[in-house]
Amino acid sequence: MATTTKIGLEIHCQLTGAKSKLFCRCSSDYRGKAPNANICPICAGLPGTLPLLNQKTVEFAAMITLALGCKFPDEIAFYRKNYFYPDLPKNFQLTQYNAYGITSIGVDGRLEYGNGKDARIRRVQLEEDPGRLVYASGSMDTSLYVLIDYNRAGVPLVEIVTEPDFADTKDVRMFLDKITSIIEHLGVCDTKLEGSVRCDANVSVDGGNKVEIKNISSFADVEKALRYEITRQRTMTSREIQVRSETRHWDDARKVTKESRTKEEEQDYRYFPEPDIPLVMLGSEFVSFIKQSMPELPDTRKERFMSKYGLSAHIAQVLIGNKELADFFESTLMIYLSPKEIANWIVTDLMSFIDERQKKEEEEEEHSLFAGLKVGPEHIADLARLVDQDMINRATAKQILGQIIRTGEMPSALAKRMHASRIDDVSVLAQTVQSVFQMEQAAVQDARRNANVANFLLGKVMKITKGKADPKVALEMIQKKLKED
Amino acid sequence: MPIYTLEAGQVVQGIKSKEFSAEEYISQLFERIEKVEPKVNAFVTLNKEEGLDRARRLDKKIRDGEQSGPLAGVALSIKDNICTKGMKTTCSSKMLESYIPAYDATVIKRLMAAGAIIIGKANLDEFAMGSTTEFSRHGPTRNPWDISRVSGGSSGGSAASVAALECAASLGSDTGGSVRCPASFCSVVGLKPTYGLVSRFGLVSYANSLEQIGPVGRTVSDVVSILNVIAGFDENDHTTTNSSKPTYSLQERKGLRVGLIKEFTEGADPGVSKMIYKAAETLEKQGCKCEEVSLPSVQYALASYYTIATAEASSNLARYDNIRYGFDMNPEGYEWNSYFARARSNFGDEAKRRIIVGSYVLSSGYYGKYYLKAHQVRSLLKREMETLFKKYDVLIGPTMPILPFKIGERIDDPLKMYLVDIDTVVANLTGMPAISVPAGFADGLPVGLQIMADQFAEQTMLDVAYLFEQAAKVQRSPEL
Amino acid sequence: MVVTREEVKHIGWLAKLEMSDAELQRYTTQIEEIINYLNKLDTIPLEQVKPIAIKKKFSELRKDSPENFEDAVLGTGYRKDGFVKGPRMV
Repeated sequence: MATTTKIGLEIHCQLTGAKSKLFCRCSSDYRGKAPNANICPICAGLPGTLPLLNQKTVEFAAMITLALGCKFPDEIAFYRKNYFYPDLPKNFQLTQYNAYGITSIGVDGRLEYGNGKDARIRRVQLEEDPGRLVYASGSMDTSLYVLIDYNRAGVPLVEIVTEPDFADTKDVRMFLDKITSIIEHLGVCDTKLEGSVRCDANVSVDGGNKVEIKNISSFADVEKALRYEITRQRTMTSREIQVRSETRHWDDARKVTKESRTKEEEQDYRYFPEPDIPLVMLGSEFVSFIKQSMPELPDTRKERFMSKYGLSAHIAQVLIGNKELADFFESTLMIYLSPKEIANWIVTDLMSFIDERQKKEEEEEEHSLFAGLKVGPEHIADLARLVDQDMINRATAKQILGQIIRTGEMPSALAKRMHASRIDDVSVLAQTVQSVFQMEQAAVQDARRNANVANFLLGKVMKITKGKADPKVALEMIQKKLKED
Repeated sequence: MPIYTLEAGQVVQGIKSKEFSAEEYISQLFERIEKVEPKVNAFVTLNKEEGLDRARRLDKKIRDGEQSGPLAGVALSIKDNICTKGMKTTCSSKMLESYIPAYDATVIKRLMAAGAIIIGKANLDEFAMGSTTEFSRHGPTRNPWDISRVSGGSSGGSAASVAALECAASLGSDTGGSVRCPASFCSVVGLKPTYGLVSRFGLVSYANSLEQIGPVGRTVSDVVSILNVIAGFDENDHTTTNSSKPTYSLQERKGLRVGLIKEFTEGADPGVSKMIYKAAETLEKQGCKCEEVSLPSVQYALASYYTIATAEASSNLARYDNIRYGFDMNPEGYEWNSYFARARSNFGDEAKRRIIVGSYVLSSGYYGKYYLKAHQVRSLLKREMETLFKKYDVLIGPTMPILPFKIGERIDDPLKMYLVDIDTVVANLTGMPAISVPAGFADGLPVGLQIMADQFAEQTMLDVAYLFEQAAKVQRSPEL
Repeated sequence: MVVTREEVKHIGWLAKLEMSDAELQRYTTQIEEIINYLNKLDTIPLEQVKPIAIKKKFSELRKDSPENFEDAVLGTGYRKDGFVKGPRMV
């Protein structure tokens, strides 16, 4: 029997592009700091403090709103979501909420991803991150106390909520890739930083009850958590056990979803508008300001790559799928303008090295695409130039790339050294050519009728000389000899 | 006459002209405090050493011919819910019994820069929730006119310290009448500014959308001097109005149009309304035109006020979980829910009641029934007031519908206690300014005249207050 | 309208307030009285009035420039290695 799965997502991205926190002047860069060294009276929730909304975060959230095709309200408000938790300095979270005619910064959007698929975006909202809890001795259950670090408290987050429009985990992966590329292109979030993007998901199978999964700390784990949960629900359904509507937690260590201890249903967040933050009027002037300040989005960049550089849709898509890759491509063009050649080197050859490296470290956290590879745009530009100018052939170029990726040496330097050991002495090569002509008489006959067969003969020469023959010189000699005899 | 009896303006003059030194003045005040404080209980914390030290430094400045500020040497008490860096700020609560702020409220910074000397922190109802200063962990502040009676609240310590000549003036906070009520009960002047005129940065929040910090003094003139220092935009409070800093003055104005709110006088004790009618006559004699006016939506004002105030309070007080600051209670070994609930059981009765009521009106299913309606009432009231202000420069009525009552009289009946705020909450709900000036005495107890004006029309309100004060000449401080 | 002991107990849980049976009893009576007074609000028809609110323009918001707060912020003595000690999360 065919089963239907409905998946919705709640994506949190930290606005790491903002320098200060959402409501205070503390740095938004809390990573690697001593515990509680990145706090002030406001984000620590001291009595008498008032939130001071960061202009930049509104600008960033508006850019995300536009990129996801959402509508802007005339004015935005913040709400208090009231619940107690030791990582929340005020015991309420400042967030946005859609009620009584006031909405969050973005509503009712739609985003295309993958091959013509699209997902509806319910809302985009700005909110604050809580602090961090650390379990000192062993586990949560055994320690006598918890350790709290408020450095992260108040870091700006944008939450993107989708409708349950995904049918399988592959769609989810493609959608998350697209979101990643968008926020990277907007410069609002460095998705490579640990914990900068998080995702909650909700799943229902065959029209059954919806289950929320929380605590998924990276995009990479979303697919795993979903796959586990879909299997769990399907197994229950096949045994005719009803799936309960509940909130479950993703257990990162055991890779399973678990029942939550606090029942979400019993919570009552008592939302009401934050009186200390004025309504922020957006209006048409603001919207046109955001439109003007929008950096190029991945889709537009793809179009440009195709029209300006003549790249194929496939190659352009691979490049813009990851901002780092697309930036690498354009930086290379700045040095040497040979778009198709360079795009090919990046998408086919360079990517195969990257894939290989990523496979090895699958379980590790995501970091820069080029981590551990000693290659920059100048290397690829140099390589493409060598090939374009017939200094080396493609096979040699590949060989060179394989080496310099580990050493960081410039391709032209390596090519020069290889060249030095090369046999281009006509008298030495003449002997080898002569012996190939004797061994491959049938091929020689063919070559006289079909010029392409000369390459076969060249291959033989290269094999005998263990690749040391200068292919250009050798080919010339072969062609000359074919005419002579 | 002893120098501790001087008004703020006279203190500044006296010190500047070297008639007396700031040190003499401050020491005399502390002697006075020692003498009367056992009867009044206006202070939570005294700042004697630092106060004297500041006075000596000011004297040196004056000897050296340096500039001194507009409040140079003026001794102030500060309500203990306004943050003072390095000086305990307890909000009269067990939850903050040892809390020392890491920063100064904006108003404190401005007062210090103007040369004022903070001599102590004044008593209040816990977290400013009350109308009598009985709900204080430090015991009630007693009314200097009759120490068996309440001082009013929640800024009871502020008003009583000013009336008892323990300081020249004070800062209170007014959420539903908390500056004006004790000013009325203690026969001093208390002003609630227009919402957004004075920074709330550093005021421990009770109900953010309603409250303002306001000055208390023995004269309109003193209240104006302080307001001129503390008013104006603050980058640390996004609800302050972004306009140029206002300066208020005392001016004689004739022919002002005055509306007497009939719902206020009708609902008041006969002794109180008699004094208010008398006050209206006094104003007429000074050339004002007085007429009775009606404000029909006032019948919903208290319900609106207690809905909004408790809703905001229930959320504001959530942060007091004793984890980051508070009293000494080791969290080790407690399950977190029970630690929070145990620590928070140390709130006083009234704070707990308001937390529960506020959580109730916000809980799911009730938001539209209470909170939203309460906001609707605010808009209705504002509309009615704006209509009246097209015809009248100010609106007047009693500040309090009753005379100061006996300590303990209403403490067990919360609703009865709430009802005394009926005349003051209108200004908070509409964001408009209001002032209480002494109107006289009924049965030997003070009665306050409340004057309200349109938003940011403080100058007009002060004109009427000054006119009345000059004509009525009501006694400001009792024998103690 | 009736406010029940169970409702007050649930709110006590939401608001993290420990109450003895006697307190619960007393608060229930008092809060019922207060809520009944607030019910006055329900007698006015809800209309579409714009609530009073402070408004600001985007340009008036805080500029994004970070600053360090130098003084000690947290008052609690229950600390370990810079962390704040909190109760058990079970």
